[in-house]
Amino acid sequence: MDLFRIENLSFRYPAAEKNALSEISLSVEGGSFVVLCGQSGCGKTTLLKMLKRELSPHGSRSGEIFYNGLCLQELSERKSACEIGYVLQNPESQTVTDKVWHELAFGLENMGAPTSVIRRRVGEMASFFGIQDWFRKNTSELSGGQKQLLNLASIMVMQPKVLILDEPTSQLDPIAAADFIATLQKLNKDLGLTILLAEHRLEEVFPIADRVLVMEEGGIAAYEPPRSVERALREKNPAHPMLKALPSAVRIFCGVDRIGDCPLTVKEGRRYLSEHWSENPPCVPPAAYMPGGEPALELKEVWFRYSRDLPDVLRGVTFSVCKGESFCILGGNGTGKTTMLDIAAGLRKAYRGKVLVAGKPLKEYRGGELYRHHLALLPQNPQTVFLKKTVEADFEEICKVMEYSAQERADMIESVSARLGIEPLQKQHPYDLSGGEQQKCALAKMLLLRPRILLLDEPTKGIDAFAKLQLLEIIRELKKDGIAIVTVTHDVEFACMAADRCALFFDGEIVSDDVPRRFFAENNFYTTAANRIARHLDPFAVTVEDVVAFCRGGK
Amino acid sequence: MKAFGALHPLVLFCYFIAVLFLSAFTSHPVLLALSLLGAVCFWATLEQGGGFWRSMGYYAVLFLLIAVTNPLFSHNGVTPLFFLNGNPVTLEAILMGIDIAALMVSIIFWCKCYSLVMTSDKFLYLFGRIVPKLSLVLSMALRFIPLFQNQAQRVGRAQKAMGLYAGTSYVDKLRGGLRVFSVMVTWSLENAVDTGDSMRARGYGLKGRTSFSLFRFTLRDGVFLAGTAILFAAVLAGMRMGYLHFTFYPEVAPVQTALAAIWCYVCYGLLAFLPFILETEENLKWIYSVSKI
Repeated sequence: MDLFRIENLSFRYPAAEKNALSEISLSVEGGSFVVLCGQSGCGKTTLLKMLKRELSPHGSRSGEIFYNGLCLQELSERKSACEIGYVLQNPESQTVTDKVWHELAFGLENMGAPTSVIRRRVGEMASFFGIQDWFRKNTSELSGGQKQLLNLASIMVMQPKVLILDEPTSQLDPIAAADFIATLQKLNKDLGLTILLAEHRLEEVFPIADRVLVMEEGGIAAYEPPRSVERALREKNPAHPMLKALPSAVRIFCGVDRIGDCPLTVKEGRRYLSEHWSENPPCVPPAAYMPGGEPALELKEVWFRYSRDLPDVLRGVTFSVCKGESFCILGGNGTGKTTMLDIAAGLRKAYRGKVLVAGKPLKEYRGGELYRHHLALLPQNPQTVFLKKTVEADFEEICKVMEYSAQERADMIESVSARLGIEPLQKQHPYDLSGGEQQKCALAKMLLLRPRILLLDEPTKGIDAFAKLQLLEIIRELKKDGIAIVTVTHDVEFACMAADRCALFFDGEIVSDDVPRRFFAENNFYTTAANRIARHLDPFAVTVEDVVAFCRGGK
Repeated sequence: MKAFGALHPLVLFCYFIAVLFLSAFTSHPVLLALSLLGAVCFWATLEQGGGFWRSMGYYAVLFLLIAVTNPLFSHNGVTPLFFLNGNPVTLEAILMGIDIAALMVSIIFWCKCYSLVMTSDKFLYLFGRIVPKLSLVLSMALRFIPLFQNQAQRVGRAQKAMGLYAGTSYVDKLRGGLRVFSVMVTWSLENAVDTGDSMRARGYGLKGRTSFSLFRFTLRDGVFLAGTAILFAAVLAGMRMGYLHFTFYPEVAPVQTALAAIWCYVCYGLLAFLPFILETEENLKWIYSVSKI
């Protein structure tokens, strides 16, 4: 039986020129796991919100949505609130109350459930989600992953029939995200819960989906089981942009002329390569890292802790980055990577050790001198960079602070905007932009400072595959200008493409650094999916392109 | 902390009201001595280690200060001990000073215990039932404050890292602060939209909302509430009937030793030491059960 049936649904926001959704018809079977993907702004969120009546946006619509054979508009308020659960993107802003237990009870309170029922259901859900250890804590003390798990649990207490999630893992680190996805899979398998999940990190969700819905410009590009998505997209357009966002195994399959069945997971990918290309000679090992060039930023034996009684966060961090070099530091969550960037940017002071910017100790930069044409830090949340009502006003202000002349100012803004492709966004409010757009505008603001060193903190957090590729291009461009770039990230896929040199940060220090292909070849777990697929045949194949080249090399 | 603090918030609240009321409206030295001792003993079970002795030292000084102040300004009484600047310092005034000091310090200690035992969630639970909307609003506010602080700090740091208003002058700092604040207003509104969505998605605004809490009123709570009420009523009756009347001027009245008065002392003592007894009983139980293992 179809749980949702959508017939010819079109929707247009007030005062918009184009339809946000056009002529969408599809049905979702009860108990299935559907993954939605597509470029930002393709209408994923609009479609999901249309399915939850309480959140349906205002605008002109046509077509019908049926839930369990009943028109969605005719569903009773209580049923609609209980049976259709909705998890939003930002884990922080959707939490309502201050205590974990109160958050869990909130939905049932709204339903007017008696205390005994609430007690039982809250207890049951807290046990299922492993919340009992932090049941009485304040919600503000939780980590991002815990918060999102709490948001999920506080919807599950209402015993929904279908769960709709809009990019729930985009603000989480990879480990928390994997945990969250595993919980969703468990709910789908053990309870037969229907799940509609919008995601842009497809590596993990793709193999567990029953169907994948690829959207483009408000319409459906493909609605297929995961194994046939690639074929459907290629039939539509051989260079379909979504092909670049699919999981590594699928992209390798796509790159090697698609012999046999499409592999989805690392395990299947390994078997697939072994079957077809085990005879191929491995690539030549790349040359080891050769230090060279003029150092732009150096950290020497830097030690730091937050207060006298707390343990050390940094224990003798030492590294140096040269002009025009891109250096990526990888490492787990909460290990002190962001703290290290704060120290390099002069926001916190190390209690031992030295930081040299362009050969001069950090201490000798007075006032705001360090931030003028020397160093810029792009924080994890690009939203925090903006203070004005439009992006343009923010740009103007920073130029004024930098004391550029009027002519210079206009030229700078124009050239930087053209470079990052953000001219159409300038009149908008920074908070109205998508994650990727915000990232680009924030980066533009940093570039107006004309830094020689750019520090990036988790630049790929919350942005989709296309924005990531654009960011990659930008980094390559900046390197040509001789800007040194230090990136701190969890994203191994991004690091292997963006870096000249990668390093692992662990236990307060940098434990290994090398060129990406050697670095990832050494790692067994902390490496890209493509490398895990191909490493038994060619340990130095790190990116999907490397693996494809390896396969083709044999033919 | 565990034994007494685990009682139902209603019981706790009634208990503190009863004790504070009786301590505040009596000047009887026996009652005040019992109240002070009871409060300090209870405080000792709540705050162990260095914190206890530090605050004891501090309040001992306060006690002496208050006790000394009265005879300096009040020269009533019939038993002058010595003359200071030509004014008599009387025995009655000194005793009255000690009495007032005991009154004030015991109330301070009861209030300190109150603030440790009656945490905000207990208070909210009690008064949220009168105005259910208010308790939700307060709960939301308590969630929002740390969120706001965090974001404001992040924005401040991001601005500093761009060299904006990184100067040391106060005007610069103030201007920087104002700019961050203005963007935080926008951020709060954005955040509120999401929170509103999340509330509506979970059916907020439907009729017949209930309010859930983790507290349960058990038989034990009933017994304590009744006990508190009986002891309170007994002492109050004693006061009304004049058994607990006491005067310092012109001459210190004798402490009444009628049977009824002694009963009042016992009742009040029981009331004041109730939390301490409860805590000690539980501690002993633990020691006993541990020694059995």
